[in-house]
Amino acid sequence: MSDSNSIPILLRVNGRTHRLFAEPRRLLSDVLREDCGLTGTHVGCEHGVCGACTILVDGAPARSCLLYAVQAQGNDITTIEAFGAEGKLSPVQQALHEEHGLQCGFCTPGIVVTMEAWLAENADPTEAEIRDALSGNLCRCTGYHNIVAAIAKAARRRREETVK
Amino acid sequence: MTGTKAIGAALPRKEDYRFVTGQGRYLDDIVVPGCLHAHFIRSPHAHARIASIDSAAALKAEGVISIVTGRELEEWTTPVRMAPPIEGLQPVEFTTLPIDKVRFIGDPVVCIVATDRYLAEDAAELVTIDYVVLDPVPDLDRALAVDAPLVDESLTSNLVSRQSFTAGDPARCFAEADFIVETSFNQHRQTHAPIETRGCCAIWEQGRRHLTMHIGNQVPHPFRTQLARRMRLTESQVTVACPDIGGAFGQKIALYREELTVAALARHLRRPVRWREDRNENLIAASHAREDIARTRAAVGKDGRILALELEIVEDFGAYCFYPANYLARVVAMILTGPYRISDYAFEMKIVLTNKCGSGPMRAPMAITSWIMDGTIEAIARRLALDPIEVRLTNMLRAADLPYTMPTGLVVEDVTPRETLHAALEAFDIPGFRVRQQNDRARGIYRGAGLCCVVESTTYGSAFYKAAGIPGSGHEAGWVRIEPSGAVNASVGLMASGQGYETTFAQVVAEPLGIDPNDVQIHLGNTDTAPYGMGSRGARGGTAGGSVLLIAAQALRDKVLTIAATLLGLNTSGELRLNASRVERRLGGVWTEAGLSLADVAHVAYLDPLRLPSGMEPGLEAHRAYDPPPMTFSNGTHMCEVSVDVQTGKVTLERYLVVDDCGTVLNPVIVRGQQQGAIAMGISGVLLEEVIYDENGQNRSGSFADYLLATAVEIPPIEVISHHTPNQKTPTGSKGMSEGGVMGAIGAVPSAVNDALAPFGVVADHQPFTPMYIRSLLRGKKDQGARND
Repeated sequence: MSDSNSIPILLRVNGRTHRLFAEPRRLLSDVLREDCGLTGTHVGCEHGVCGACTILVDGAPARSCLLYAVQAQGNDITTIEAFGAEGKLSPVQQALHEEHGLQCGFCTPGIVVTMEAWLAENADPTEAEIRDALSGNLCRCTGYHNIVAAIAKAARRRREETVK
Repeated sequence: MTGTKAIGAALPRKEDYRFVTGQGRYLDDIVVPGCLHAHFIRSPHAHARIASIDSAAALKAEGVISIVTGRELEEWTTPVRMAPPIEGLQPVEFTTLPIDKVRFIGDPVVCIVATDRYLAEDAAELVTIDYVVLDPVPDLDRALAVDAPLVDESLTSNLVSRQSFTAGDPARCFAEADFIVETSFNQHRQTHAPIETRGCCAIWEQGRRHLTMHIGNQVPHPFRTQLARRMRLTESQVTVACPDIGGAFGQKIALYREELTVAALARHLRRPVRWREDRNENLIAASHAREDIARTRAAVGKDGRILALELEIVEDFGAYCFYPANYLARVVAMILTGPYRISDYAFEMKIVLTNKCGSGPMRAPMAITSWIMDGTIEAIARRLALDPIEVRLTNMLRAADLPYTMPTGLVVEDVTPRETLHAALEAFDIPGFRVRQQNDRARGIYRGAGLCCVVESTTYGSAFYKAAGIPGSGHEAGWVRIEPSGAVNASVGLMASGQGYETTFAQVVAEPLGIDPNDVQIHLGNTDTAPYGMGSRGARGGTAGGSVLLIAAQALRDKVLTIAATLLGLNTSGELRLNASRVERRLGGVWTEAGLSLADVAHVAYLDPLRLPSGMEPGLEAHRAYDPPPMTFSNGTHMCEVSVDVQTGKVTLERYLVVDDCGTVLNPVIVRGQQQGAIAMGISGVLLEEVIYDENGQNRSGSFADYLLATAVEIPPIEVISHHTPNQKTPTGSKGMSEGGVMGAIGAVPSAVNDALAPFGVVADHQPFTPMYIRSLLRGKKDQGARND
């Protein structure tokens, strides 16, 4: 990369601080993958449609391919690596596994991140609502049927855990 | 025999953990120190001569290491030559990058290598390419015109392939027929659009003169053969190493020009070079598919019986042939009659070059087949005022007809089209639907029920390729090793891109060895490890790959039990089996623990070989190859319900079900997932996806905002009903599956839409069924049965 134009950037990702030098034009998706070594964030289209690169910015889903890394300074960034990190899969991860909600797995991190954030605010969704929320993530393998089933299952489990 | 039933168990996938946690290892996740980045400058013209290329300014740009064109590549690599000895197919040859002229928008012209992808793209702005624009050939009509410019100037015309075939005496049948019914089908251009685009990383080691190519490819060994040949290397100088693949669908089979360029540059520069195409490049320049116009002519008796059938299929193959041009349409023509009893049959195929991206196989290269066949039957039913289900039944093969030799010579056996049709009709409840349809029609809601009967060609044996005039082998190879500790490793020549092979093949290997599938590791995609097989394509994985691993595992089981018999002091292994990783012995009809584990036997086989039976070679490994029957077939019946908003033209899928027979199932969860995914791809293709070229050959579908993939909102829940019966000839009893879903959806959705539109007296026969197209059919039309208030 071009060192002459690089500037210091401070990113807070998954609770850790990353100090790095990067050009202001570098996409957040590239910096997360190449500078922070967090390769679970996938790049599928680089124009904000496919959803594979979805991360959380201060808890809200965002396309990391539509942000520059410099823009994300001062925000709390969460990537797929924060989910299931303690050896226990998150509800969405576990349900995707059980319901065969993934095939090639390339779109999966974006779906996990998007839907975990969404379920936190939508505890008891209908199937139609799940499909609508999922429609920002393209999957070319599964036909979505099992992903939808997995999200419903994850929602149910989250509710049960809350009751406990 | 063993007590364990691993084949057919609904096990969750072993590969999931790494994918759901973001620890999958795809191409871009491989860190290669000092790696350079390649970027391609592509043609902005559909058809133009390359007059000059000036890279001087770009070479001085920051980070730029090298800039090359077709001229350099011509020295470093050999051209592709597609010239199988097939009658009716013109041979074609082209260089690694074009030298004299470009043939489509997106044709790669210049490759820039820089220290960083951003800098490579910056430098592209500084390269000046002068073109002399030529008349484009944007469509079939222009391509076949007498004065058409030649897309490939070494050919005599744009008609790159023309083949015809006749079986029986169709002419006599047409002369004697009560009716002659003509139907047409227009299938549009589509593209695979895997969510991970193409890319590769080439590492040349000058010290040992060895190339390692990291690339997500479905067929690692045939790919290596091509890459080595075109680099003028031996196959022992090239390792193809496939990481996890983010979807392929047929797009990741051929050796593409960009990939060869990157490999050649890595060798030339003696530095690692990687390339990742962006989505625009993937949509306009990777590989396209489909785009056929098909016409059928059926000679029909009064009862709806098809006496003879003729097919004419014209396919737009784009500018370059990465496959023999006849290959895709040929399969359509070969299997067209599918589940129906038709003996007098003729086809004519024309494959045409245009100034578009080259075509290739996309999940169900023969996807249009079932739409053509069942669509023809529905046209017959309309013409004769018969029930289309009855016309299907009148012509459909019965169990007593099997094995049935199709007019093209393919033998259909172990299929159950009548059984799946009846099961689908029962599950769907047509009478109940008709009541709803009538009631809603009175309220201005137009519903339609669709049906499509599919016979899917799944696993192609070598004999099929030979008979069809398509170069290739149908065999697959695999090995299984029990290591000294009793751990089990296995490999096969297939590469996975989402099919779950690490799970299903572990199940296959585990069964004869009487072990837990979790204790079997499947190693895929590295040509130094995996045996030379033909790779993953069509629906061959389960049948060709599963079978060869079963055969290898059975051979190892026999060796293990022979050793066990010796260790136990028995004359024969006939009363021994493996179960739960231990040897069991039948005594008085009861299986009892023999005091020996699989690990004990493995230890002896490797580390204490003097205890082996006399003359037996140490170790526990088996390497086998398997060539399947000429063709195996799966079958299924697809039904769906749509509603058509006649005001806006929007088609909505309300329900979708399939009754499927794909033989012995290795893992029902994975099979169901493959069905759902294939059906979704079919639905997405019928309703949304379209590669659009304008009259100048400009591609107008270069982003996901233009090339529309179905989301979770457009795809309905998909019910999959199993009706599996084993194939008698394959070792596992499986038939193969994964493409029939596309075929069925491409036929069932039009069937439903036309049922919904029937009151208006119109027939939709041009896919995709966009709102604009449906409205164009309905404009000025009225529900002919509606009251005039």
